[in-house]
Amino acid sequence: MELKEIIFFILATATVLSGWLVVSLKNIIHSAFALLITFFGVGGLFVYLSADFLAATQILIYVGGVMILVLFAIMLSEKVYNVSIFHASKILPGLLVLGGVQVVLLRVMIESPWRIRAGADSVMRPTTEILGGLLLNEYLLPFEVISVLLLAALIGAVVLIRKEVKRRREGACL
Amino acid sequence: MTLSMPPIPNLHAIAPEIIVLLTSLLVLLIDLIQLRGKKGGLAFLGAAGLALAGIFSYKLLQHPLATDIPGFAVDAYAQFFKIIFCLAGLMVIGISVRYLTLEGFSLGEYYSIILLAILGQMIMASGTHLLVIYVGLELMAISLYILAGFFKHHPKSNEAAVKYFLLGSFSSGIFLYGIMMAYGLTGSLDLSVIAGKVAGAELTGLLLLAVIMMGAGFAFKIAAVPFHFWTPDVYEGSPTSVTAFMSVGPKAAAFAALIRVFSSAFGTLRVEWTTLFICLSIATMVTGNLVALRQTNIKRMLAYSSIAHAGYLMVGFVAGGELGISSMLLYLRIYAFMNIGAFGVVILLNRVGGIGDRIDDFAGLSKVSRASAFVMLVFMLSLAGIPPTAGFAGKFYIFMAAVKNGYVWLAVIGVLNSAVSAYYYLRVIMRMYMVEPGDEPVLNVSTALSAILLIAVVGIIAIGIFPGFCLDLARTSVTSIL
Repeated sequence: MELKEIIFFILATATVLSGWLVVSLKNIIHSAFALLITFFGVGGLFVYLSADFLAATQILIYVGGVMILVLFAIMLSEKVYNVSIFHASKILPGLLVLGGVQVVLLRVMIESPWRIRAGADSVMRPTTEILGGLLLNEYLLPFEVISVLLLAALIGAVVLIRKEVKRRREGACL
Repeated sequence: MTLSMPPIPNLHAIAPEIIVLLTSLLVLLIDLIQLRGKKGGLAFLGAAGLALAGIFSYKLLQHPLATDIPGFAVDAYAQFFKIIFCLAGLMVIGISVRYLTLEGFSLGEYYSIILLAILGQMIMASGTHLLVIYVGLELMAISLYILAGFFKHHPKSNEAAVKYFLLGSFSSGIFLYGIMMAYGLTGSLDLSVIAGKVAGAELTGLLLLAVIMMGAGFAFKIAAVPFHFWTPDVYEGSPTSVTAFMSVGPKAAAFAALIRVFSSAFGTLRVEWTTLFICLSIATMVTGNLVALRQTNIKRMLAYSSIAHAGYLMVGFVAGGELGISSMLLYLRIYAFMNIGAFGVVILLNRVGGIGDRIDDFAGLSKVSRASAFVMLVFMLSLAGIPPTAGFAGKFYIFMAAVKNGYVWLAVIGVLNSAVSAYYYLRVIMRMYMVEPGDEPVLNVSTALSAILLIAVVGIIAIGIFPGFCLDLARTSVTSIL
C-alpha cells in the first residue's frame, strides 16, 4: 500500500466516523467539534480529486466561517447549550430509511458507467486559473446572479434582525 | 491559457431581467432617503418597473431575439412565463400596500425582495443550463424564505419561515444531488448536451435516479403530493399577500423549468417520467381536494386548493405535446388571476391578529358589501371551473389535451376531482350569500386593492369568454421549445 492510499483511508475513516459522531453525540458542543473534523476530512477528499481550489474554499468557508458561526450560535444561546439532539426512540425508523436509501445509492454508484475524465491519474494541475476563466466567460450569468442572491440574503438578514421602534412585541423574534 | 474579453451580450434580450433588478435596487435606495411610513410611492415604483418589464417581455415574445449568453434562452416560451411573473408580482404589490401598513410592517425592503424573487423566477424560466436554473431557483427561494417570515413578531410567521427554510433547503439539496448525477453521467450541465448523451445511452439506475431526484426538487416547489407537507402551514403562517405571491409565481416558475428540463434534456425518457408524473398527479389531485374539504381556515383551504391545482396542471404535463403544454401555460395565466384575486378578498376581510382568516368570517358578506361578495363569487366559481369563468376554459383545454393524447381515464379522474372541489368553493359562496352576518365585518378597502380585484375579475371573465387570444399566445410560445 502506498503512502497516499494510507492517507486516503485515514481521511475517509475520520470523515465517516466524525460524521457519525455529529449525529450520535449527546452534547451539541461535542457534535459541533465532530463536525469540524468532518469538514476537514471532506476538504482532504477534495484534494484527492485534484480539486485544489475546492479543497481550499472548503477549509476557508466551512471550517473558517460556518463552523465559527455554529459555535457562536451555540455559545450565545444558553437554551440550546445543554439540549441533547440525540433521540434514542427514532433510531429504528431512521436506520430503516437510511438503510433503504443507502442500498439504492450504493447499487447505483457501483453499477453506473461514470464518465471518467481522461488523464485523471496524471500530475495535479492547479484549477484556479481555469475556474477563473470559466466564471468570467461561460458562467458569467450565474456568477452575477449569485451576487444578487447574496444581496437578497443580506437584505433579508437585516430586515429580520433590525429592531423596530414603537412596535408591539409579542412572541419570539427571529 | 489566454484570457480574452468575452463578447458583450445583447442586452436588449435580457431587458426584462435588467429592469426588474434595477427597480429592486432603486426601491432599496429610495427607501433609505424617503420619510418613514410612507411606502405607497415605493410600491408604485415597483409596480411600474414590473409593468415595464412585462411590456418588454411581450415585445420579445413576438420578436424573439437570439442571444449569445450561454445557458440562457430568450425564446417566446420564457417570455410567456415572464409576463405571468410580472403580472402576478404587480397584483401582489397592489394587494400588499394597505395590508402591510395595517399590520405595521410597511417596509420598503418588502417590495425590493418581491422584485428579486421575480428576477429569480425569470432566470428559472429562461435557463437552459442546470446551473443557471439552480441559481435562479435559489434566488427565488431565499427571497421567499424572507418574505414568509416578514411579520417577524408573529410566532406563526416565524414558524412558517423556519419550516419553509428547512424543508426548502432540504429539497434544494435533493435537486442538486440529481443535477450532480446527471453531470456525472453526461459530463455537462447544458440541457441540449445532456439530451444528446441521454438519447444515446441505455437506461441506467443512475439516470433514473437523477430524473427522480430532479423531479422531487421541482415537485416540492409546485407543492405536489407527497412533497406538499410544508404548504398548509407556510401558507397559513405567512403574511396573506406573501401567500398569494407564493401560490402563483414559484409554482409557475417551477413548472417552467420542469417542462423545459424534462422535455428537452430527458425527452427520450418520456415513457419513464410520464409514469412518475401520472402517479404524482393523481395523488396530488385526490389529496389536495379531499383534505381541502375539511378546512375551516380560508388560507389553509386555498393552500390545499393550490395543491389540487398543481395536480390538474400535471395532467396537462402528462398529456404533453403542443396541446398539453399550451393548455398548462394558459391555465397558469388564469390561475394567477383567480388565486391572487381570492387572496385579495381575504386581505379585504383581514383584521389585525388573524381574524378574517376563517371561512366563517365570510358569513353574510353579500349583505355588508355586495361588490366584494360578487368578486369573491367570481374567483370561487373560476377556481371550481364553472363556466363562463376562465377557470372552466383552463380546465377544459387541459382535460381535452389529456383525452386527445390518450389519457382518457386521467382526464376522468381530473373531472371527478374538479366536481369534489366545487363543494368547498361553493361552501364559501354559500356562507357569503345565505348566512346572516355574525359580528359586523370591517372591510379594508383601498384604491390599489380594488383596482387589482377589478383587473382580476375582468381578466377572468374576458379569458373565460374569449380564451382564443391567450391560447394563441400560449401556442406560439410552446412551439418555440418543442
